[in-house]
Amino acid sequence: MEDIVLENVSKDFGVFTAVDGVSLTIHSGELFSFLGPSGCGKTTLLRMIAGFETPSGGTIRLGNQDITDLPPYKREVNTIFQNYSLFPHMTLFDNVAFGLRIKKTPKAEIKDRVREMLNLVKMEDQANKYPDQISGGQKQRIAIARALINKPRVLLLDEPLAALDLKLRQHMLIELMNIHDAVGITFIYVTHDQGEAMGISDRLAVMNQGKIVQEGPPDDIYERPLSIFSAYFIGETNFITGQVKALYDDYLELVCDDGGGKSFELDCSFQHAPAVGSRVTFSLRPEKIAISRNKPRAQDDINMLKGQIEDILYLGSHTQYIVRVGKLKIRVFSQHKRVYFDDKALDWEEKVWLFWHDTDTWMIENDALEQLTEAQLSESGQLSRALKRRGS
Amino acid sequence: MRVFSRKWYKGLNLTAFSLVMAFLYIPILILIIFSFNNSRIIAGWQGFTFKYYVLLFQNTAIKEAFRNTMLIALLSTLISTTLGILTALALENKHFSGRKGLLALIYTPLVIPDILMGVSLALLFNFTRVNTGMITVLIAHVTFCISYTVIVVQSRLEGFDYSLVEAAQDLGARPSYIFWKIKFPLMMPGIIAAALLAFTLSIDDFIITFFTSGRGFDTLPIYVEGTIRRGTVTTINSLSTLMIAFTLFLVVITKRIRKILVSAL
Amino acid sequence: MKAKSRPSALEKRKNLSSWLLSLPALLWLLCFFLIPYLIVIIYSFLTPDIYDVKFEFSLAAYRQVFSGGYLRPFFLSFKLAIYTTLCCLLLGFPVAYYIARAREKLKNTLLIFIIIPFWTNLIIRIFSWRIFLSYSGVLNGILMNMGVISQPLEILRTDLAVILVMVYVYLPYMILPLYSVLEKLDFTLLNAAMDLGANEVKAFFSITLPLAVEGIFAGTLLVFIPALGAYLIPQLVGNQRSLYVGQVITYKIKNIPRNWPMASALSLTLLLLVALMLLIMYGLYRRHLARRQTQ
Repeated sequence: MEDIVLENVSKDFGVFTAVDGVSLTIHSGELFSFLGPSGCGKTTLLRMIAGFETPSGGTIRLGNQDITDLPPYKREVNTIFQNYSLFPHMTLFDNVAFGLRIKKTPKAEIKDRVREMLNLVKMEDQANKYPDQISGGQKQRIAIARALINKPRVLLLDEPLAALDLKLRQHMLIELMNIHDAVGITFIYVTHDQGEAMGISDRLAVMNQGKIVQEGPPDDIYERPLSIFSAYFIGETNFITGQVKALYDDYLELVCDDGGGKSFELDCSFQHAPAVGSRVTFSLRPEKIAISRNKPRAQDDINMLKGQIEDILYLGSHTQYIVRVGKLKIRVFSQHKRVYFDDKALDWEEKVWLFWHDTDTWMIENDALEQLTEAQLSESGQLSRALKRRGS
Repeated sequence: MRVFSRKWYKGLNLTAFSLVMAFLYIPILILIIFSFNNSRIIAGWQGFTFKYYVLLFQNTAIKEAFRNTMLIALLSTLISTTLGILTALALENKHFSGRKGLLALIYTPLVIPDILMGVSLALLFNFTRVNTGMITVLIAHVTFCISYTVIVVQSRLEGFDYSLVEAAQDLGARPSYIFWKIKFPLMMPGIIAAALLAFTLSIDDFIITFFTSGRGFDTLPIYVEGTIRRGTVTTINSLSTLMIAFTLFLVVITKRIRKILVSAL
Repeated sequence: MKAKSRPSALEKRKNLSSWLLSLPALLWLLCFFLIPYLIVIIYSFLTPDIYDVKFEFSLAAYRQVFSGGYLRPFFLSFKLAIYTTLCCLLLGFPVAYYIARAREKLKNTLLIFIIIPFWTNLIIRIFSWRIFLSYSGVLNGILMNMGVISQPLEILRTDLAVILVMVYVYLPYMILPLYSVLEKLDFTLLNAAMDLGANEVKAFFSITLPLAVEGIFAGTLLVFIPALGAYLIPQLVGNQRSLYVGQVITYKIKNIPRNWPMASALSLTLLLLVALMLLIMYGLYRRHLARRQTQ
């Protein structure tokens, strides 16, 4: 059953377009995330669903009801604010009871329901404290209790974990999932943290420059990014360009230029077939690549490349190798599972083989560079180099 | 943050601070001590006495001046704080078309010497043939207090976290409910600060009152100045000591009030 | 590019409510702040009467103001304002600095000590100085007991006493704005400067002072402008040989024969002087900001 339906929703602030024609359906009971960099329009979208902003165009429906122009206090939607926005002059009990008091709920019922809610968020023994006497994580819980007590159809969460430190963030994420399971209503979650979005969501939408770039389950978006932006923004990846040499049912053969006068051939997976002879970009996640000083046994569905180690970064849980193939630089993550690793550790300047399953080479369909800002481009120098070569 | 400094540099600042403290407090201390001095004129220590405090409480002119001062202070605080709250709320709207003009009108009195406001009001009351007295003094006091109350309340509103209003809306509260349950309670420290400031300014004012009060309506500063000019100062020491005690009482009270408010917020 | 949208109905309604909210204060200031100045302007062109004015046009007041007879009060007031401001700055800076550098807990207590005199009635503070400085007063008593002098000194009723009490009264107005900028100053910058080889004096002039300029401007504004219109302090601790503008204006209104036009003309001249000073300070401040931006 659909719960929130956005139809061609836009929002302009003067000359700046924050949200640009977004259409989307969020199902009842789903935990749906908007993921994107700051300024991508995700918070504006959330604020339009909550009613704090009026869309410049389009409609927003909650179930069968058009709520586009409804003031916030008439919507069955509640929000968890980034800074929690607890009322500083009220006790935690009064904060949680706020919504019920507005509805003139009988005193005894308020008491019971607030207790119940405080139990849900494990804050039952702190009811008489004031917001400035509790920690960030506890404020978070009270904010959740204060919203959920109104029995909203949809709970909106605007970067709810941004103000917490790392350990607490991981802990609260699991707690949020548990609360979602317990109350069973739709959660809409806004974040710029890909880890949070991937971990918590049933489905997510990647947003950039006011538009939805890709939507789907987290694994789908990670494994099969359809655009430069979603591949870049979620996880880390290598971008390589090549020319389509031959096209088969479920894979294609590419010829890639290594920039040093040599070329190599790779097999690549795709969603929609490109024309033979066209130039395409593909994404290859660093952790999918195996690295070894010994040449692996040749197999049909394995891509192989020979290169030389340029840099080794020991990162604790894994090691990052930068491997030079001609003038290309390919990043490889290798976990420290020593049972099937080379006896001797790899060294700088060592000649190595890179190999991976050919379904892990995934063709990007929408490779418009404009999707990335200057800062993002310079951050991934390799990407811009790869794409510049494609243009030339 | 600790910063390295050599001893002489630290000593320099401490010395300056101590000297200024002495400068600020020695005259007041002497005044307090001499209020207990058993002498008609200010000359040497003649023994301890409460005599002048007794005289003070028998002096009807002082009693009346005190009543006048309090009355004016309370009324002008009430009016100017109310006007200040309303105006600060208007100024909160950044797109308000009269904002710039209003701000100019509010800030100008602060950068003009008090005496000019006194003169201009004296002329106004002369021109309109209004009898000077309590009403004219009250008008004058409200006029110079408004600027301060607006600014104090406004600065409190400036730091107001607007997301609290959104949170309340989100939880189903209508605008009027939000104002009385969220905004007003959170403005309260600013309102109290503004009221206290207006109150002290009103009690303290001499020059504007001097120009706008007629004969027969003295506030304490006017009374004291007249007494000093006439040279009959015996009760002034004790009166001053009581007023200083009152100030200290106010300071302590504000600290209390502030503490209560802080713990409530 | 899209054109900026026209104000919505909501914005119009908010604008209207802002007008309504500010109306009481607006009317009040109009009637009791702006209109009185119009009357001052009108009165300055009238003819004086013993108790009142005659509504006959006259330029006599202005002729007198600019003929030179009233230059001395203006000069004295101006001099007093400058001395007061400078002394407050020199005394106030180390004090503000000391408080800003004090331990967090101590800061508030020290500030209260600065604020208490500020809250104590002005006239009482002036009066306490009269007791301290007068011919048979405490200072003379102490000095005579110590044998420094054999005859009491005439300290009260001198220009020096006026400056002394002015500084005493206005010092907190200088300390507080200075404190508020120094409090925000990042003192690690001083460590950095000393690390780079500056001694305390150099660090002070190259780091602390430039960063405190805004506080100096604010403090100067709060001390200099009121000092220009001082009446009460010169009246109570000064003498009748040096009359300041505030006193002259007051006498013209309070003493009989009254001269309302003269008082008005003097007031307007003082107002003009204040406006001029404000303009100069604003210009200096703008230049300071511009210089900071180009750096």
